[in-house]
Amino acid sequence: MDVKSLPSIESIRFEGLTFAHEGYDPTLRACDFEFPMNSVVWVKSEEGAGKTSLLQVMAGLLIPQGGSYFLNDHDVVPMSFEEFLPYRLKIGFTFDYGGLINNRSIFDNIILPLNYHDLLSPADAQHRVKEMIERFDLGKYQKERPAHVPGRVRKLAVLLRGLIAYPDMLLLDDPSIGLGDSTQMAFAELLKELHQQGHVKHLFVSSHDERFMNLFSHQIIHLSEGLLYKQANVTERIVVNG
Amino acid sequence: MSAWIERVDGLGRFLTSNIEYTLRIFLMVYLSLRATILDKAQGFRTIVGVIAAQVYFTGWQALPIISALALATGSVLVLQGLGNLTLLGGSEMIGSLLLVTLSREAGPLLVALVVVARSGTAVASEVGNMRANREIEALESMGINPLSFIVFPRILGGVISVLCLAFYFNLIGILGGFFLTKPLHDMPFSFFMDSLSKAFTMDDVFIFLLKNSFSGMIIFVVCCYQGLSVKKSPHEVPQVTTQAVVNSIIYVTVFNLTVTAFFYMSKLKSMGVL
Repeated sequence: MDVKSLPSIESIRFEGLTFAHEGYDPTLRACDFEFPMNSVVWVKSEEGAGKTSLLQVMAGLLIPQGGSYFLNDHDVVPMSFEEFLPYRLKIGFTFDYGGLINNRSIFDNIILPLNYHDLLSPADAQHRVKEMIERFDLGKYQKERPAHVPGRVRKLAVLLRGLIAYPDMLLLDDPSIGLGDSTQMAFAELLKELHQQGHVKHLFVSSHDERFMNLFSHQIIHLSEGLLYKQANVTERIVVNG
Repeated sequence: MSAWIERVDGLGRFLTSNIEYTLRIFLMVYLSLRATILDKAQGFRTIVGVIAAQVYFTGWQALPIISALALATGSVLVLQGLGNLTLLGGSEMIGSLLLVTLSREAGPLLVALVVVARSGTAVASEVGNMRANREIEALESMGINPLSFIVFPRILGGVISVLCLAFYFNLIGILGGFFLTKPLHDMPFSFFMDSLSKAFTMDDVFIFLLKNSFSGMIIFVVCCYQGLSVKKSPHEVPQVTTQAVVNSIIYVTVFNLTVTAFFYMSKLKSMGVL
């Protein structure tokens, strides 16, 4: 697929969006919300209020029961898998745990989206993945399968796979869990670099880790009782690495 | 009166849940085919790789057990058939007996049972674990449709494997059965082959293809469906695997019986009995 033909994500909006897991209270109740763009957004809520579900709805992994979810003023809720695909390729999503393909090596896991969709030539795809692997010193684990590597490596592999296609919108679910301080800093630096290069324009992070979030200049949105609220002030960047 | 209503209600619920399940199975066949056709990203190489792996695990690795089963079944049928047909003076019917019992009836069922036991369980638990480990969700998040990436190649690989295994079963069962029991009877091979060739009709080819291809499809669709029905936790995997085995065997048996019944009735009709 030609990357240039994919739509760039310019706006994200919910209109009366309702989502509930079967047998549970709704995570989103007729929610109207215009998401902040071109920024790092910290998604906060009480524990179990549905941050992960919110990110999964935004990634198109969960289908809302009602309302509309607009990407670039196109309602994506009624779209089929194939119709949503061009948007999906511009959205990166990383899991809080699990999510690696167990019968593929760490390298093959990270390169999978690039190769499957022919987003880059095989040589360029290999080069990009090798660069990432070297940057995070994962070389000795790259040929191992997920079950044979430490949790930190699994977590990093999931994070790198989410952004390897340089998406416009990146949704990170508890990205700092399982990572050491130096890896957290290095990952935050990578995100900032990609943002400066015009990739990962809209970053949404669900986290309870204030120290990690303070590595970015971020805005905050709260999910509470099925509705989203924007926090008025913009938190100043507290820690800048380098 | 209320007990009677409860029984009818129970029967109704049983029927509707089974009809719903069957419709869901058909729907998954359609959706996986649709996803494969519409999936422009999935290259020929990717899909052929997964199909080849499935054929290797389901077909190639099952050859020893299929050989043993085919030899045992073929030998028993040759010995029992010859023993009884000779008493009736109809030993030239041995070919017809073998084709009807082995190729049309026992072959498809035994091959299906072996495939369910070996590969159906493997597919159901593999897909179930992928679901529990969020690999299916991960594929979706990367824009990879699990129906075209996981389900369709397994169904197609399964159908190819079952067809090949059934052909191999018939060949080994009939010829191997004859040669294995040769010391116990004095039938010339030319007589045996003549009897077989006289009994062989296009109906045998039709029934072979129909029963075995659909059995292969049923087994792998049901097992993939059960695997994908895992919701959250790995503890569901053994449960869905057991259910996959039970459902596959029920569906395959009912399908084989239905084909046989239709064929038998059409035979009777063509003979003017019905």
